[in-house]
Amino acid sequence: MHKLNRTNRDKVQQFVAITGASEKNALQTLKATDWQLEAAFDVFYSQPQPRSNADMRRLEELYNRYKDKYSDMILADGISVLCSDLQVEPQDIVTLVLSWHMNAATACEFSKEEFVGGLQALGVDSIKKLQEKLSFMRSELKDEQKFHEIYNFSFGWAKEKGQKSLALDTAIGMWQLLFAEREWPLLNHWCDFLQDRHNKAISKDTWEQLLEFARTVEPALSNYDAEGAWPYLIDEFVEYLYDKSVVEK
Amino acid sequence: MEPKIIDFEQGWDYIETGITALKRHSESLPVPKFTLEQYCDLYTAVYKMCVQKSPYDFSSQLYQKCCETMEEYMNSTVLPALNEKLGDEYMLLRELVERWSNYKVLVRALSHIFFYLQRFFIVRESLPSIETVGMGYFRDLVYNKLQSKVREAVLALVDKEREGEDIDRKVTKRVLEFYIEIGMERYEQDFESFMLKDTASYYSRKASSWIQEDDSINDYIFKSEQCLQKEKERVSHYLHFSSEPKLVKVVEHELFVVHENQILEKTHAEKQIGLGPLAKIFKQHVEDTTINAKEQVLIRKVIELHEVYMVTECFQSHTLFHKDLKRAVAGSDALLATFCDRIILKKWGSEELSEEDIEKVVMFLAYISDEKDIFAEFYRKKLALRLLLNRGVSDDHERSILTKLKQQNRGQFTFKMERMINDLTLSRENQNSFKEYVAKPGIGLTVTVLTSGIWPSYKTFGINLPNEMVKCVEVFKEFYETKTKGRKLTWIHSLGTCHVNGKFDQKSIELIVSTHQAVVLLLFNTKDKLSYNDIQTQLNVGHEDLVWLLYSLSCGKYKILIKEPATETVSRTDVFEFNSKFTARMCRVKIPLPHVNDKKKVIEDVDKDRRYAIDATIVRIMKGKKALGLQQLVSECVQQLNQMFKPDIKTIKMRIEDLITRDYLERDRENPNMFRYLA
Repeated sequence: MHKLNRTNRDKVQQFVAITGASEKNALQTLKATDWQLEAAFDVFYSQPQPRSNADMRRLEELYNRYKDKYSDMILADGISVLCSDLQVEPQDIVTLVLSWHMNAATACEFSKEEFVGGLQALGVDSIKKLQEKLSFMRSELKDEQKFHEIYNFSFGWAKEKGQKSLALDTAIGMWQLLFAEREWPLLNHWCDFLQDRHNKAISKDTWEQLLEFARTVEPALSNYDAEGAWPYLIDEFVEYLYDKSVVEK
Repeated sequence: MEPKIIDFEQGWDYIETGITALKRHSESLPVPKFTLEQYCDLYTAVYKMCVQKSPYDFSSQLYQKCCETMEEYMNSTVLPALNEKLGDEYMLLRELVERWSNYKVLVRALSHIFFYLQRFFIVRESLPSIETVGMGYFRDLVYNKLQSKVREAVLALVDKEREGEDIDRKVTKRVLEFYIEIGMERYEQDFESFMLKDTASYYSRKASSWIQEDDSINDYIFKSEQCLQKEKERVSHYLHFSSEPKLVKVVEHELFVVHENQILEKTHAEKQIGLGPLAKIFKQHVEDTTINAKEQVLIRKVIELHEVYMVTECFQSHTLFHKDLKRAVAGSDALLATFCDRIILKKWGSEELSEEDIEKVVMFLAYISDEKDIFAEFYRKKLALRLLLNRGVSDDHERSILTKLKQQNRGQFTFKMERMINDLTLSRENQNSFKEYVAKPGIGLTVTVLTSGIWPSYKTFGINLPNEMVKCVEVFKEFYETKTKGRKLTWIHSLGTCHVNGKFDQKSIELIVSTHQAVVLLLFNTKDKLSYNDIQTQLNVGHEDLVWLLYSLSCGKYKILIKEPATETVSRTDVFEFNSKFTARMCRVKIPLPHVNDKKKVIEDVDKDRRYAIDATIVRIMKGKKALGLQQLVSECVQQLNQMFKPDIKTIKMRIEDLITRDYLERDRENPNMFRYLA
């Protein structure tokens, strides 16, 4: 440690505090990523964590605490107990980030593999430690790249099993939740438009392209390209905005 | 110290003197200059009289006096001055605009002097402002009395100008501005409507005399265009701009529409082309010819128009004219197909129609190139009916017509139709070997095997067949399996026909009915009376379909079944009885099934086919290119499909998205304008 300059020493400490990794591990990871904290986190969390028997046992215990009585999964009841243990509302967006870390296939359920694997990847083995991670998880939403991933992840997560598209009500709920994190002035018009004119489920392509639209197209539509390959629903939305004179042509 | 109270008489005297001076001033009579100080003094006087404590607050009296002054001015000065000029129209107009502009100055001055009244008393009592009252007096006391005189004077000026005289446009413009100032509705009602009538009769006279003078058509058109131009200039010189479209319409109507037949005749005779205005006349002509025509006559008329004006080359197939004809037949693809049907069946009323007419239709099809596939779909339906109901048209004849259609279009257009005729030929051969196969009399069964997907789809519903029929069906199935391997037969009973012998009291009658109707009738072999519910349980048919069948047998022209109660609709509580008293003049009777309107279904079918066609085209293109930008994909797609129809870009986009959902394509991760083919 003594060879490091002050900023880098701070970074190592910060890294250790957040990830719970050993100092040696932190040093290696940070060096490998050229002292970029964000990148180091990415590398750290994408590496398989060394499993020690001890934390495996604790994770099993945790899992069993929330597991459904009749099936080998954590279902809605278990999740609401988990939320109250963590002292967060089930509707809190942080539960979405948690599901993303667990790579959960469907909303309101975790398989054992997802739950244990997710907690391992996060490097926590107790509720207390997980709770301490919450603020970090919230901060991940501010990261453009991660937000993008979480946004795309949430489509598959929120849709009904076996369906190809996302029910409109659910989609609107998810958009309201997600765009609460990054403001998009046209959100309410978009939701009104869907209920007024569309009233059908949302396809994956439309879901993914909407974030692109919200990110790249000005709310005044000044740089909207009618010739572009936007999904037709977005084209219709633009027409709707002109029709309703929300936006001047 | 209390300010000195001004009593009303004293105060008003002072103000009145001022107003008199103002009046003279406004009429530009020689008076000493009205100074700003005088204004201020008058304002102050009014102000003081309004702020004195009651009973010395004279606001209301002042307002009244002021109004009276204006009224009196109208009656004693303005009106007499105008009346003096009644003899000379032009002088009258001059005096009017002069008086009006002076009066406006006066009213404005008054409202300045009484400004204090305006701000408090008038607002508080919600009275009309001094200006409003002033304008009202002029309108009611002066204008209303002279209204017709003024209008006549203006119209006389306009007429003079049309005949080439110079008129004082400035005064005319001011008069019309005056109309607008006292209210747009005065302009429209008191002046414009009369002006338009006047214009109409003027040009009506002109047009008939020009037509009679027997000038060449080009001269006529030239003159008319000039008139139109002049009228437009007139609007810009002194009329209100809103009059232009109305005026142009009136003039066009008189010059072109009224005489459209003569004009077109002349054009046709002279083979001259003056495109712009002619196109307008032609459009009108097409509209007039087609607007009241009944559906089938419409097609006939449009084809005639096409024949006369396009084929004879007098319009040299100019696109301006295409559009009009096209508009006239928009959405009548079904009619065109019906028209063909009638020609082929030789059933066009008393008129003789020949193969030549078919050729005309084929030529005409070029005009509806956006919607050719809809025509094809309707044509296919009609063809199917002709073939299946054996309408006595030979296969060769049908084939020769298809060849003609094929020449104008691509093979795809007639592909299904040709296969349909082949199906029928094959079925006839099959039928012969079936007869040999059965080799015993007793089964009178004719089966036509159609290839699914080639023929229009037919509505079919399940029904419990009686044993006799079940046996027939099975025999045929056995036979068919000896001839082919692995083909599935679906029976479309709705297209079947049965001959049923009815033993009625008077005589036996052969009833020609559909298979479904026959199945219902056969139930009455064992029982004379059956309730609706009995029939439904025995046949196992849906409510809607059964109602349809029973209706045809009990409520139509031929009542084979008696329905209780004897109403015009079939309901679940009805009871049916065999009508043994039934008789007819002929010994063979066809009992029709009420027609189900299928136009909507055809459109839906076409839409579905179009979706498949677009999907197939996109996949074909992408399979070759692997990755392609949206613009190229759309343009290739349009290019490949436009022989059949014009796919719109929106639909193509929707199909692309659908293919993404179905995992045929994906959007490129990096470039969202790019699509990739997923093998």
